[in-house]
Amino acid sequence: MYRQGDVLILPVPEETVPRSVRELPPSPRDGRGRMVLALGEATGHAHALAAPGTLLRTPDPLVPDHLHLPSGGRLVHEEHAAITLPKGWYRVVRQREYVPGSVRVVAD
Amino acid sequence: MPTGTVRETHFVVGDWQAAGFATGPADRARAEAGVAAAYASAGLKPPERYLWVPSPARGAVAAAVIAGHGEALEAAGLDDLLEQARTDLTDLGDLTAGPSVLTDVRTRPWEAERAAACSEQGPEQWPRTWADTGGLLWDQVQSLVARVRGACGEQATGRSLGARRRRSTREKREAEALLRAATLDAVLGQHDAPWLALFESLGRLDGPLTGLAEVARSAGWWWPYERLVILSERPSELYRDEPGRLHRADGPALAYPDGFALHAWRGMPIPAGFVASLKNLTPDRISSEQNAELRRVMLEIFGYDRYLAETGARPLHRDETGVLWSIELPGDEPVVMVEVVNSTPEPDGTHRTYYLRVPPDTRTARAGVAWTFGVDEADYHPEKQT
Repeated sequence: MYRQGDVLILPVPEETVPRSVRELPPSPRDGRGRMVLALGEATGHAHALAAPGTLLRTPDPLVPDHLHLPSGGRLVHEEHAAITLPKGWYRVVRQREYVPGSVRVVAD
Repeated sequence: MPTGTVRETHFVVGDWQAAGFATGPADRARAEAGVAAAYASAGLKPPERYLWVPSPARGAVAAAVIAGHGEALEAAGLDDLLEQARTDLTDLGDLTAGPSVLTDVRTRPWEAERAAACSEQGPEQWPRTWADTGGLLWDQVQSLVARVRGACGEQATGRSLGARRRRSTREKREAEALLRAATLDAVLGQHDAPWLALFESLGRLDGPLTGLAEVARSAGWWWPYERLVILSERPSELYRDEPGRLHRADGPALAYPDGFALHAWRGMPIPAGFVASLKNLTPDRISSEQNAELRRVMLEIFGYDRYLAETGARPLHRDETGVLWSIELPGDEPVVMVEVVNSTPEPDGTHRTYYLRVPPDTRTARAGVAWTFGVDEADYHPEKQT
């Protein structure tokens, strides 16, 4: 388990990656040929890897992405120290915040 | 039976996501052709007239008038809305709308396709198919639809947060219910995207649903009658945050060309101009706000860290992952937050801290941080963090 800022990267056994995820087309790489795990909204800074591999992303922003690194890679970010990831499959989780369920708005 | 070549599911879902949240003028010619196709496929003659309205709110009032509720709206004192709807409808000359054909045009063919698709998929595959298609879009689209429906009704009572709280009479509440009910007689057009994504992924848009799909790609909500169809424009503005909630500080998060609009901060309804009114916010003003949702918005804009500092709050728990804080609020669940420190120092050697709200029953800082990543407290042990 690795954490770079608001991104948590969990190694997962290959056989636990759902078939529907494996069949997704790889997410396109950015202009510098990198896989961007998450882009900072305000700063444009990115959690990114230039290694060989695939990033598989579902359309729902709250569903974790998957990352396959057949030969490992180095995760970099402008504000955080780099993290070396061994080869394998990973689940990539964005940090979330609690949003209260519907509370009663004070009535008339 | 499904027909044609089915595109890959992720393209289908992506396109319907784009259609569902599309803004800008309707493609009227294409929408009207879609309506005619839907009527034809239901065995009906195409409507004689197409009445375009700028928003579903205007459409709902017209639909309520057509349904014979003009007097009830009048009794509620909704003269402006009523006059507008009558003007919209008198432009049609002596044409009467005729009965609603919603069941023939939408409900019946839709149900038939759904039943066929469901039985073809079987009880195990069906929920998976939904989860891979419509399910990905459902919550976001549905919360938008629910807000628009509510606001269509609130035209009657002025109960929206933006208006001063007026006395709501029985007549006004009845008119609100009638307007909301009128929204249930609409085909949702672009907001039918989740189900249309499912149907398309199964190759089921090339049959009786072709026309409905065509309107959904080109317009907003619409009301089908025997001789007339009312069609609404799409929003002119739509702003959402990353999880897809309506969110904007400096204007409406959702607006239609006639000014019908919703203001929201991270999904929470707020009055127009609310964020701008918070310039000289104080902790006292925050804690005296009676409306829990508005208070949350105030807290978020004021800054949790500043609020904690200025109210002298004490931490609940502290461990190597961070600090757990709580703010007690009268009549609401406490705001419980973890204060987390970035592991990598800033260029000046300091460490940036930030606050994240976690569920109110959180007891330790580690449990709070683990929750923000959807991991159990016991499993949260990063071997490296930066």
